[in-house]
Amino acid sequence: MMEKMSEENIEDVRVLEAQIEHLQAEVAALQRQQQDNHKDITFHLRGHMQDAMSYVCGQKQAGEKEKVLSKLTEEVEELEEDLKRQTQMNGISLNSCTTKTLQSSGRQLVQQLCVSGHCSELVFQVEFQLSEVKKGQRSERTISDLNVVMDTSDLQNFSSFLSGVEESRDLLLFFRTLRTFSDRCDDRRRTFQHFQVYSGQMTIEKYPSVVSLPGGCRSAVMTLNHPELPGCVLFVHWSVEVSREGRVTPKIELLTKIPEKALQLFPSQAVSGAAEAFQSLLRILGPEAAVESVIMAVSLSQDT
Amino acid sequence: MVTQTPPKSKKNPQLVLDIFIWEATQNKEKDLRSMDGASTKGVLSHLSLLEVQARSRKTQPRQPSRVKELKAKAEALMTQRDQLKAEIETHKSLQKLRASMDKQCTHEEEEEEEEEEEEEEEEEEEEMAEDSENSQLLRLMARHTQLKDLLHAHDIIGGYNVIKTRKGKGLCVSLTTAYNGVYLENYNLEMDLKPTLRISRDNIPPFIPLKSLAEQSNMETDIRTLLDPLSQHLNAFAGRKQQLKLVKELHKSVQVMESNALCSLLVLMFTVPREKTAVLCSLEYTDHTRCLPTRVHFECEDKGLPDSPEWKKNGSLLMETPVHKALITMKKMGDIV
Repeated sequence: MMEKMSEENIEDVRVLEAQIEHLQAEVAALQRQQQDNHKDITFHLRGHMQDAMSYVCGQKQAGEKEKVLSKLTEEVEELEEDLKRQTQMNGISLNSCTTKTLQSSGRQLVQQLCVSGHCSELVFQVEFQLSEVKKGQRSERTISDLNVVMDTSDLQNFSSFLSGVEESRDLLLFFRTLRTFSDRCDDRRRTFQHFQVYSGQMTIEKYPSVVSLPGGCRSAVMTLNHPELPGCVLFVHWSVEVSREGRVTPKIELLTKIPEKALQLFPSQAVSGAAEAFQSLLRILGPEAAVESVIMAVSLSQDT
Repeated sequence: MVTQTPPKSKKNPQLVLDIFIWEATQNKEKDLRSMDGASTKGVLSHLSLLEVQARSRKTQPRQPSRVKELKAKAEALMTQRDQLKAEIETHKSLQKLRASMDKQCTHEEEEEEEEEEEEEEEEEEEEMAEDSENSQLLRLMARHTQLKDLLHAHDIIGGYNVIKTRKGKGLCVSLTTAYNGVYLENYNLEMDLKPTLRISRDNIPPFIPLKSLAEQSNMETDIRTLLDPLSQHLNAFAGRKQQLKLVKELHKSVQVMESNALCSLLVLMFTVPREKTAVLCSLEYTDHTRCLPTRVHFECEDKGLPDSPEWKKNGSLLMETPVHKALITMKKMGDIV
């Protein structure tokens, strides 16, 4: 009797031992895969995220769902608030950031990041490698392989700065300059739009509209032309220049297009010297007031 | 230990003796006959036989509980395997969800009509209802990872990391500096929000004009009117400081004669090859928002050297290129050692 039981059991034991060996191999392979997954920092889950993961994998009771869901929702709402605040404070709107972990050891982490977004109307996409090396208590961060993509079709003065910044890997300088450049362009747009409306309002009263923005309100040129003087046009050229170093300089000039005949009729410097006169006005009154004076002059306004 | 019944536990070999004694008392006659006049050999051989029996019973597998043990182990491994599979599958789903969310966000830039976006959202909501019951939680998890990445990006690109402190009464701002791809010092500002916005604490170096920048700014309406110029000053300072560090590291043949805390003045001594004359080079950085000098001046015993075409070129080079890089070029050209 004892012997018969032994035979069955020996067979069972053998089968079970084989099964266990197979399972151990499976588990080891899955653990390796999981370790690889954990190297991806984005999906390195902690806290409420870990709880949610446990729930989804069936480790928690069905009743826990509400609790897990509400805690995670709360945390996500906090993060949304935080993002709104950072977006407003930094003046940069990011709409996507993808990371790829290239190397992850105890002391070194190397990631490839691709960040896209916009700063006011300027759209960008930036790709770079970020390395973090632990040196004692501090960790050293460095950027390499910086690549910036922007629609520079109407940003001629920006492209030389862009190639310089890619070479020097000055990621932070790029964003500081982008923001300042965007601010100065916004100044221009606001001023031009204001005068377009302002001039339009004057039309309603008595005088025809003299201001036009042939390239739109984001362009660099505003033209001033009195319809009763069709050949005479004044151009306010407001460019925003960016040096290779990242210095943003607005440059406003008044250019005139007056037919020879008209110039002959007015030998005084008033017309031909308009450009220099405008520069003086700029220095004394600042851009908005200077432009306003010119508009008033061109409108042949009786109000001044 | 006194036992009434034969000791069942065979695990303790020392009980072999007890067994012997018990068996001996049970089979007195048999044993008396064998013991009678028998040498100790007979007793000893019986003792060793019992010992062997006890040992073999110990090593023989307990068939029933061994199988139970193995079955339990196999079940535990199966649970572990299924758990790992579930985690890996969830991970995959999260990655997929996240990738589609990222794609959607980049396309939102290109779509100008809100109607299109609303349509897309409706389509997705329908899809979601068809999906498993965990899809809501998974979407939330994917959004969590997306938000964390976006916040990390804001930090990496040099964002001000503004945090509200003291239950909304305070603000903490962080200013990152970097030069040529190397992240350098971080500076911090602590501000009071009430009654008016003002700086309460900072670790900005004293030679950075924080107070005057704050006075000139419009920080109560727009805090960036303070932070942007401040960041410009700090980054320019960090850049000049880093250039000095690199000059010392990479150009041992160039002597640093003078420098100041703000790194707005740098005096270097070059040695001209062949004649071994010394050239004193002063770099003045009067614009503290820049990393490049506003004035370069050479002094040399050979009065004609600074006016020579090569050195005029070097002068322009030093005005337009960071000093540590300019020195590399000057060495290549053979102008300095």
